[in-house]
Amino acid sequence: MNLALKDAIHSPTRFALTAFGVAFLMTAMIGMTGLYRGVVEDALLIIERIDADLWVVQGERAGPFAEGSAVAPDMDRRVEGVPGVADVRRFTQFTQQFAFDGATRRATLTGVDVPRDDGHWLPLTAGRWLHAGRYEAIADASTGLHVGDRVRLGLDDYDIVGLTRHMVDSAGDGLMFVSINDATAIAQRRTSEEVHLARATHGELAASPDGSSVAQESKIAAVLVRLDPAADPAQVIAAMERWGDVRVLTTAQQRDLMLNARLWKLRLQILAFTGLILIITAIVVSLIIYTMTIEKLHEIALLKLMGARESVVAGMIGQQAGMIGLAGFALSLLIARLVFPLFPRRVVMDPPDLAALGLALALICAVAAWVGIARASKVSAREVLS
Amino acid sequence: MSGPVLSVRGLTRHYASPSGLVRALDDVSLEIAAGELVGIFGPSGSGKSTFLMMAGLLEAPTAGEVWLAGQRVSHAGTDVDGLREVRRHQIGFVFQRANLIPFLSASENVALSLEIADVAGADAMAHARRLLAALDLAHRADNLPTRLSGGEQQRVAVARALANGPPLILADEPTAALDSVRGRQVMELFRRIAATQGAAIAVVTHDPRSTDLFDRIVHFEDGRMVA
Repeated sequence: MNLALKDAIHSPTRFALTAFGVAFLMTAMIGMTGLYRGVVEDALLIIERIDADLWVVQGERAGPFAEGSAVAPDMDRRVEGVPGVADVRRFTQFTQQFAFDGATRRATLTGVDVPRDDGHWLPLTAGRWLHAGRYEAIADASTGLHVGDRVRLGLDDYDIVGLTRHMVDSAGDGLMFVSINDATAIAQRRTSEEVHLARATHGELAASPDGSSVAQESKIAAVLVRLDPAADPAQVIAAMERWGDVRVLTTAQQRDLMLNARLWKLRLQILAFTGLILIITAIVVSLIIYTMTIEKLHEIALLKLMGARESVVAGMIGQQAGMIGLAGFALSLLIARLVFPLFPRRVVMDPPDLAALGLALALICAVAAWVGIARASKVSAREVLS
Repeated sequence: MSGPVLSVRGLTRHYASPSGLVRALDDVSLEIAAGELVGIFGPSGSGKSTFLMMAGLLEAPTAGEVWLAGQRVSHAGTDVDGLREVRRHQIGFVFQRANLIPFLSASENVALSLEIADVAGADAMAHARRLLAALDLAHRADNLPTRLSGGEQQRVAVARALANGPPLILADEPTAALDSVRGRQVMELFRRIAATQGAAIAVVTHDPRSTDLFDRIVHFEDGRMVA
């Protein structure tokens, strides 16, 4: 006879409410862990997917993600000539606000070197890659744009020709991909007043399309390098760094900079909150199990009076803790699947993380059951008479 | 009747209190044979319940011994928690309150005492139903305790005490919460059990209306057995 199950069936509302309490705490845990995973995955998305061996960035800087970076517009030609380099692509990325459908939206514009970059690294959910040289864009679904939409970026209109999903930057803004030339033009957008001031200061030369009254840096943030299979990365890096005006980072270094420089505090904060919720969950679950044990002291005394072994009492408390933990965890998975897709940031539910959280809950339940069993072991059979 | 099922020898229980030594039980010796129904009478505080606690192996005596079926099972300093197996197989308890487990049906309450003694679930349930039927409770077997009257609850408690066929049944004021008719029925039940199953039964009671049913009556006063 399963006493724990009988008790749960006898008071289904109380059991369900308790399980839901545990479920919501676990949902918060899954959410915090998933948010952490999501932030990390989003931050590393471009670095991992863009298929580059080396990143040539501005000298003495750790760009383009951890720090700002600008390299000469023709840096790609210089890099291309270094022995061991298989191919190069220019890269830039910046945040852009734009108006669409009567609302202001944000996207992180990423310039890709079409036609050198064939876009094979980008998973499209709809539409196509950038074929025309100019005025086409691929947007992430999180921007709210669809294939066929037309948006104004800078001074020009762009057609959305492709769509991605879950492609956002470390701040959660959806990515939008345009050709590197378009990205440069959008970044160099000038007001009419700027043009007038430039003309007054420098004459007609300054009014050329690329001139500005504001000092203009290059809008190329980095040059991406793929190495020949036989090339020694260290030699290629050393060759380029001898120029003095660039720094060369490997993909592993970019990943490390992103996680341990730019996102360090955010990661620490999320992990701290996760730890806090874990402690709260442990305390609440322990209290629930302990309270349930206290409520049954009379029955426990009766069981002992009837000669029940300690294992019968321990089994009842342990099974009750296990049932609450199991029901709470199953409900939390259900709630998480229903609720988290509605959240603005991606919440990644990795099976290993879920397994670890399930294990943590099992440990919490085991500790809580142990506390309950320790209390029950102090119950004397003669307490039936009290 | 055969030899004694319960034999207590010089049973003593003293407590230290702020006002001095309390002699809850003082040198009590008593034997109860198989099939014998013994009534234990006495005023409140006379030591009846203390006697039952020690005879039921729920408390160790300060001095003296408790023998069950010819074996010494408890004496001064005994860890009564270690005597669960003896309680499980040899003693059935009935109290003033039925003390049924609220989330188990009548039959499950009875079957539980069998399962605790390692009887298989299906066999335990079948035996529990037979016992309840014998006590005219077949129609209540699947009811939770809250759906039973006080008398029915007490009969379920008796069925539970009988389930393992213990040679000794100890009852502490089993009719105190019942009206006279129900109280008489429960006492008649004990009489029947003693006669048919050969159990030794000790009933602590204040109720003088059922004295005719006892084989023997003993009186307690100030911790001593006076008759």
